Amino acid sequence: MSNSVPPAAVVPTATSRPATAALAVEAVALRKDFGPIHAVDGVDMALPPGRIYGLLGPNGSGKTTLIRLLTGLASATSGKARVLGVEMPSRENLARIGYMTQSDGIYPELSVWENLTFFAALYGQTDKNDMLKSLELVELDERTGTPAMQLSGGMRRRLSMACALAHHPAVIFLDEPTVGVDPALRVQFWDHFHRLAADGATLVVSSHVMDEADRCDELLFIRDGHVLAQGAPDDLRARAGTDNLETAFLRFATEVVASASAGSEDARTAGSKETDR
Amino acid sequence: MNARRVAAVFRRIVAQFRRDPRSLALLFIAPLAIIALLGWVLSSQQSLTAHVAVVDETGVPAGAAVATRLEAALDVQPGIVLDRSVGNDSTARQMLKDKKLDLVVVLPSNFSLQNRTIELLTLGLNPAGEASVIPAVQQALLTAIADTAGAALPTIERATVYGSPNATQLDSLAPVVVGFFAYFFVFILTGISFLRERIGGTLERLLATPVSRAEIVLGYSLGFGFFATLQVALVLAFVLGRLEMPALGPIPSFAIGLGVRTVGNPLIAYLLVLVLGLGAVSLGIFLSTFARTELQILQFIPIVIVPQGLLGGFFWPIEQLPALLQPVARILPVTYAIDGLRQVMIAGADLSSPQVLLDLGVLVGIAAVFMALAAATIRREVA
Repeated sequence: MSNSVPPAAVVPTATSRPATAALAVEAVALRKDFGPIHAVDGVDMALPPGRIYGLLGPNGSGKTTLIRLLTGLASATSGKARVLGVEMPSRENLARIGYMTQSDGIYPELSVWENLTFFAALYGQTDKNDMLKSLELVELDERTGTPAMQLSGGMRRRLSMACALAHHPAVIFLDEPTVGVDPALRVQFWDHFHRLAADGATLVVSSHVMDEADRCDELLFIRDGHVLAQGAPDDLRARAGTDNLETAFLRFATEVVASASAGSEDARTAGSKETDR
Repeated sequence: MNARRVAAVFRRIVAQFRRDPRSLALLFIAPLAIIALLGWVLSSQQSLTAHVAVVDETGVPAGAAVATRLEAALDVQPGIVLDRSVGNDSTARQMLKDKKLDLVVVLPSNFSLQNRTIELLTLGLNPAGEASVIPAVQQALLTAIADTAGAALPTIERATVYGSPNATQLDSLAPVVVGFFAYFFVFILTGISFLRERIGGTLERLLATPVSRAEIVLGYSLGFGFFATLQVALVLAFVLGRLEMPALGPIPSFAIGLGVRTVGNPLIAYLLVLVLGLGAVSLGIFLSTFARTELQILQFIPIVIVPQGLLGGFFWPIEQLPALLQPVARILPVTYAIDGLRQVMIAGADLSSPQVLLDLGVLVGIAAVFMALAAATIRREVA
């Protein structure tokens, strides 16, 4: 699937350092303030391609803002965000990125097919057969003429996903993709995510549900705009000395409060250098 | 700028509206209904006759002679029905209250050859309407005086440079109405459509694609420009055309359309309305930034639409406005559209007229400013 994506060299890469070109998603001391609130408070991340990353944290921990910074939808107060080696925001680079927002973000009056072809056209995807295949993947190929407002909640979620993936993005951000989705469909979603990763795509999936975390290759625990810890689920459990991810999350959270996290120390000093006043 | 992405936005807006019959009705049926009502009211006002009486309070033969001569003159004046049965001032007042009389000419008790003041008495509920009788009365007075002096009054014939002296209020309002409706409905529909993009999360999705803000504004302009085109064509056809329907059984004969007389090129009129409408699209997008609900879009009507209706030359020429309001009127797009439409439809001006070119140029400029504002506010920081 990644062969349908333009090679990285086409996109201006002047801003990216050669060492980071191989990374799918990268954040350097990324920070976003809304007035006195630090929604994203000096985040560093370096995510190699072809894996599923889980952004895990409670509501209001800064996951959505982090994704909006990484996709260039919000402008950072300081720090840098790069996707496929290109500094964001970059409108051209968005053609290689898929973003499924927390709300469905589809047009209720339009039919399934009209919604899909509209978003696909904005991404430059015009292959009708290929689009029909993306509908088959989410099992909406029999519903092409149905207006989106007549779909069930789960179907709308599936349509929303098809719209985000129709252009075969190399990097995919999914903000709480399984909220309001029944367990059977949730399993299908995750199977689909794993197929995409196997084909070389990088997925960043946010969730506040811990039982989804084990389906990710790697987890980032997020709280109060910080990355508390990063690692494979088993690794994090082992480091926290528990076999429950929820307990692990809480242990990392209290540890960070106590020792101000040795791992992200560099990041926070680098970030505050620019914003200190 | 990518034409395929602009076309995708355009097609989406057309598809959305096709599925929304209520908005289509608002766009196409509401203006026709309002214009038909306006046309009906204005065209039925023509045959107004005034009931007038003369009251002589002097009680002397000289006064009675003046009253008789006045009555004779009023009796032959067109548009006036003379009532000779009214005896005194208090009866006259009661008859005014009972709507049996519209105007009473009173020769007061102190009337004499030295004190030649006469009184015109009306009810006072509708000053403008009551005053419209006065010219006919004055004409009768002049005739009476001329008769006394043995002189003949000249006959006055009205002529106009443009149009016809018999042009009605409807003839001058029709071009204005065409432009104003396009502006109003396009503004409301774009404002609400774009607000729904903002609150429905689709704008977030749009901005996550490579589409640029200018492409979104252009796609919206094309989409709503398309519907504005259809609306203006329909409204112009209704205003200019007239289809007489013969009587059929119990239904009396009636006419569809107003059949307003114009001399100008409807295509130039359409061009003016289209540029005005494009400005309204961008204004709708821009103002949707400041609304959080659809109700709040409607709250912009008294701020954005009503002042344009009052000041834009809809009812009164700009020159008659108070000095302080004239500069305000001159920055409103509707002002230029109304002026241009009157130039084209009544004076028959075309694109060689500097006045029309100025109006068109200002409208293009205003649309460009609104487009830039709209594009600048699309990427709003959501706090």
